Amino acid sequence: MNEQDKQAAFDRYNERTHTIGRVVSVTTLILLIGAPFALGAILGAMPDVGAVAKGFVSVGLVWMVSGVAEYLIYTPMLGAGGGYLAFITGNLINMKIPCAISARDMVGAKTGTAENEVISTLSIAASSLVTILVLALGVLLLVPLQPILQSEVLQPAFANVVPALFGAMAYKYFRGSMKIAAIPLVVMSLLFILIPSLTGSTSFMIIPSGAMAIAITWLLYRYERKSSDK
Amino acid sequence: MTILSQLNGPAVYAVCGGIVAFVAVVCVVFMVRAWRAGVALGMDKAKMRRVITSSVTFTVLPSVGILLGVIALSGSLGTPWPWLRLSVVGALHYETQVAQAAAEQVGMSSLSAAEMTPRAFTTIALLMSVCIMWGMLLSTLFSKRYLKKLGGGGGTKGGGAAGFGDRAMTAMFIGLICAYLGSYIGAFVSGGQFPFNGDWSPLAVAGVSALTMAGCVYLSEKKGMAWVESFSIAGSMLVGMAAAVLLRLWV
Repeated sequence: MNEQDKQAAFDRYNERTHTIGRVVSVTTLILLIGAPFALGAILGAMPDVGAVAKGFVSVGLVWMVSGVAEYLIYTPMLGAGGGYLAFITGNLINMKIPCAISARDMVGAKTGTAENEVISTLSIAASSLVTILVLALGVLLLVPLQPILQSEVLQPAFANVVPALFGAMAYKYFRGSMKIAAIPLVVMSLLFILIPSLTGSTSFMIIPSGAMAIAITWLLYRYERKSSDK
Repeated sequence: MTILSQLNGPAVYAVCGGIVAFVAVVCVVFMVRAWRAGVALGMDKAKMRRVITSSVTFTVLPSVGILLGVIALSGSLGTPWPWLRLSVVGALHYETQVAQAAAEQVGMSSLSAAEMTPRAFTTIALLMSVCIMWGMLLSTLFSKRYLKKLGGGGGTKGGGAAGFGDRAMTAMFIGLICAYLGSYIGAFVSGGQFPFNGDWSPLAVAGVSALTMAGCVYLSEKKGMAWVESFSIAGSMLVGMAAAVLLRLWV
């Protein structure tokens, strides 16, 4: 096959990848949005759409911005096939991106090339299948453990999943960013101390807290740029 | 029948397992197509095999970390739903935060089986699905044009605005964490009848979890044990959760 034929074959592959990618993305979206309603039919209780809308305003907007940024940054790295697959299978930052980058580095593929397209798709597909397999096996093994997991003694552990997560993330994000974190943390603590009823609306407090952190980041950013210009 | 028995019922497993199976088939289809395209392009098969092998080995350890996340969430949401969410589209830190926000909207004080109802569960499940759909939605709508544009224009990223965008994203997460940590501090200081008499367990759990994370970072960065990083979030969470059990038993 000469270079022109190769290019034509790759263009056809890419075109078809977009078609398949779009179809499976839409199908997965429908399945994921439909699943809570299907489960609602099974459990005899449909989702409270009003509460979902309120929850979306409080926490969903944060994830929307983050989702758009991730899309813009990672799609060029992953190419068409890798991009569609990565956004369907998730765990981007902690797994798919490092996995695809290490595969690409291993073979020396460059972003935007046909080789990169193939390598990143192979890498993300393999990675996703392993995760699916490990989780399926793990869940099978978990079934006999259900009585233990539901025991009274372990309930404090499951009631503290969220504080456990935020403790771990606080170290990760605050480390090296205390200048940004200090003021929002003090202000939020004072607000929750002075108005205890706010505890029931913590997710809404993310908005002023996030705004404060972004404003401080902007000021620091401007200061750094001015200093470097001098 | 307890709520967890309902959430762990065979029908719930069937719905979630069906979606996981669909995504597994999608992965196989993409993999086979990419392999054939690589062969057609004249790429070295040994090289492609090496990519698959390295990706498999790279993923095994982090996948075990994700499984620990399924265990962490299974106590409040049952096993099948966290299994689906963390196999497809989700990430542990995302799922927990959104589940907590949704729990608040349905009037729960915390994400726990004790307060869970079928309606609360389906509401939480829907919010978790809605909030993370952006990557898939944007891929469907724009990837073809976006990649074509980058292919023609070189795809280099700008300096100033991109630099701040990255920082703003980190700042947003810092703000989010501050709001929750502030609520734990507030609940401890003014949650009880007297000052400093409220519930201190979330604060203690967050502290233990943060210390464990510090240990993980130390091991991965200073001791060259990079593999620890794969378990750092899930591992720190599990240690924090274990601390909650011990605190309840001892105090």
